[in-house]
Amino acid sequence: MNTVNTMTARAGMAVEERAVKPRFNSDLPQLWIGIALIAITGLGPTLIGNTYWVHTFQLVNIYIAASVFQNFLFVDAGQKSFGQGVLLGIGAYVTAIAFGLHGMSFGVSALLGLGAAILGGLLFALPALRVQYFHLGFVTLSAAIVFPQLLMSLDKWTNGINGISIKLDWIHGDLFLGFSPLTLLVTLWPMATLATHYGLRRSRLGRQMRVAAVSPEAARTLGIKPGMMRFTAFIIAAIGTGICGILYLPATGYVSPQGFNVELSFVFFFAVVVGGRGQMLGPVIGIWIVFILPNIALAQFVEYRLLMYGVLTLAAIMLFPDGIVGSIERWRVKRGVTGRGEQAFRVDSFLEGLEGTQEHKPSDDVVVEVKGGTKRFGAVVAVDKVDLKVRNGEIHGLIGANGSGKTSLLNVLSGLSRLNEGSFMINRRDCTRLPADRIATMLGRTFQTPRIFPQFSLWENLKLGMDARTEAPSAGILRLAGELEAEFENDSAELLSHGQRRLVEVMRAVLKEADVVLFDEPAAGLSSSERENFAKLIRFLSRRMNKTIILVEHDLDLVWGIADRITVMEQGRVVASGDPASMATDPAVQHMFIGGRRA
Amino acid sequence: MLSEVFIIVVRGIAIGSIFALIAMSFNVTFGATRILNFAQGNLLIMGGFFAFFLANGVGLGWWVLMLLVAGGLIALFSAFQGWITLIPLRSSVEQDSWIISTVAVSVILGALMLITQGPFAYSVQGVVPPFRILGVRTPGAYALAIGALIFWYIALRLFMTRTFVGLAISALSQDFDAARAAGLPVRRLQLVSFAISGLLVGTAGFLVAPVISISPDAALRYVLNGFVAVVVGGLGSNLGTLIGGPLVGVVMMLTAYQIGGAYQDMASLLILVTILMIRPQGLFGRTSARQV
Repeated sequence: MNTVNTMTARAGMAVEERAVKPRFNSDLPQLWIGIALIAITGLGPTLIGNTYWVHTFQLVNIYIAASVFQNFLFVDAGQKSFGQGVLLGIGAYVTAIAFGLHGMSFGVSALLGLGAAILGGLLFALPALRVQYFHLGFVTLSAAIVFPQLLMSLDKWTNGINGISIKLDWIHGDLFLGFSPLTLLVTLWPMATLATHYGLRRSRLGRQMRVAAVSPEAARTLGIKPGMMRFTAFIIAAIGTGICGILYLPATGYVSPQGFNVELSFVFFFAVVVGGRGQMLGPVIGIWIVFILPNIALAQFVEYRLLMYGVLTLAAIMLFPDGIVGSIERWRVKRGVTGRGEQAFRVDSFLEGLEGTQEHKPSDDVVVEVKGGTKRFGAVVAVDKVDLKVRNGEIHGLIGANGSGKTSLLNVLSGLSRLNEGSFMINRRDCTRLPADRIATMLGRTFQTPRIFPQFSLWENLKLGMDARTEAPSAGILRLAGELEAEFENDSAELLSHGQRRLVEVMRAVLKEADVVLFDEPAAGLSSSERENFAKLIRFLSRRMNKTIILVEHDLDLVWGIADRITVMEQGRVVASGDPASMATDPAVQHMFIGGRRA
Repeated sequence: MLSEVFIIVVRGIAIGSIFALIAMSFNVTFGATRILNFAQGNLLIMGGFFAFFLANGVGLGWWVLMLLVAGGLIALFSAFQGWITLIPLRSSVEQDSWIISTVAVSVILGALMLITQGPFAYSVQGVVPPFRILGVRTPGAYALAIGALIFWYIALRLFMTRTFVGLAISALSQDFDAARAAGLPVRRLQLVSFAISGLLVGTAGFLVAPVISISPDAALRYVLNGFVAVVVGGLGSNLGTLIGGPLVGVVMMLTAYQIGGAYQDMASLLILVTILMIRPQGLFGRTSARQV
């Protein structure tokens, strides 16, 4: 009865707080502003009856749509592509060849164009499976240079330098109020791309992509395949940009190799940087500045446009790296979102209601077993023929000097690195050759530096644990998730203290209901009261939630305070293992205590 | 037939040496800063421009003097660019703003050359006369390209292992934080690495001016081929560039001979994608230990 009362009281407080708490980010308002701006520029000129602006903004809005996908690729997937103009060009050219040169229907031609753009995207996406970072920048830039060359030299199919003109009358006809089908299409499509980007961000796929972009190894421990994420992102961008290409064709009525040189790709890339990387509204403002300013507003200086692109971009990255929209957003966040200090993130009350009062005891079932595990880095043997047994529900302390192989062993267990010899099993399943993202469903871990993603709200940071699940959550977890969402939906994770960040990682493991949780020096950098709370939490995980814990820690008092078993490592080898009492008198351990304090 | 193969190989190795020089200049800055300067191709072309304006058809003494002047000026510019590039990295948590800023600088340099000089390619008369090997007339600059590659390989090796500054830069490439903790002036060393990289690629552009197309839009193609060379050889390995550069050069010449000159860049793109798919660390690259 009491608990119910406090629960309602807390929920009531949360409702009040939520009413005054500002949004964590402004994606949604930006989406609506973007849609409104596109509607005005897309439909306005027709209503006024200005044909010049009708045509200009048809192109501008197509470029906005292409930049939205560039933005998605750049920030959400972390891929710097200098070749998005190529995908637009492939979409436009193949449609033009099929429609203009071979007399196919526009619908079929457009489908062929889209298919070709996806194939082009594959060229970018395949290397993305293996490599990342700047490599893809060079691959895509290279493609942007090769593409117009190919259009010229494959003149048998492309008409070479003469290009291809097409006529498609119905698309320019008057549908109602002077709006042509084309005008409607190129107004609706960029709106749809913005909405798609927003939707992706809110989705599990979008969140996992953003994690993989920032921290591939943390992503893998959360069940994500970073290469697959990059691949998917490139394919999504290729589809979207290919559609832009199809619309480009009737909007200009003409394609030629010069229209798709590297400059076009630069426009999309630079628009995102100047407008604001990662902001929903960034591509809209960016294209207005980067494309409209030199090509239309200052058309008499059109030969200086490349210079303007470059200078604008360099100025942006030097003076306001968040771009125009990003700088405004930063200012808004600075004013609005505040941390809640020590109280920002407490989980005790949430966990209370989770499992009954039943006390679990470590059983004799072996959950984690390493047999003769050896891991070498070149000549260094980091883990040397280690045998280790961890029983179900126990807290297993793993201690030893720096460089004794503890973290290397944790990395092996979480699949981040592979054993050179030997094997290990989790839940009687051989996991020696299993990739990290597969092991992630059974095992959660914390890192020495907690992996917190400031672009996500606190709740989204926790939700990554839910995202990692492959099975439906239990009722308790579902309720816990709901409570956490209500409480932390609009909180920033950036202002959390070190100890609170670690809690976030623990809660991820709880939410994904991993049986085993690995802690890599969790007490480092915690205050003494935080340490106490942390010890309580670990005990709670083990005794109340029946989780198996492996704890790598230098704070020996903490280890002896909570561990059921302790294993001592030295230079990659296990030198002693047993219960805390016998370990305390073991000669292998004695010298680890200053002055033999435990003796 | 044999002489054709011979021409392809000689020219391929010579052109490839230019790629290898760019690749080496990538390695210099990459070791010290983890930055690859996309404007490196523009610096090469800048060297070519200096050769055209300051040393076209002059005597050997003047030519050597101008080589040093051009190299020095480009080194200064490169250090300045390095300074600009490193500013945002000082505070920001996001560590890849350099991709944007060096691409922007590359676009600016290309645009400036285009505005002031027009889109035309310039031709420079070489100071080393053409010579014949196995009866095939070969431009002197080809010998210079190969010579410059060997010179810079040895010079960099000595510099990195025998001088204090070189050792300090090597230390940076191995462990950044340790170097800083040891009291090395990290920022100044990084600027020195940019200057050396500029000197290398600037003098290379000056030397090979007679055989490269000194036009604004050539810069991007050179920087990309230089990158392909460094990826083939393995990023960070100067020994790798000695193989990677000529390999790319020969494949491109072969493509030009068998299929057509318009497909050369396509060929190097395919090499790049293939290497990244099969052996991303390159022929001589090391796999770095994972950092968690």
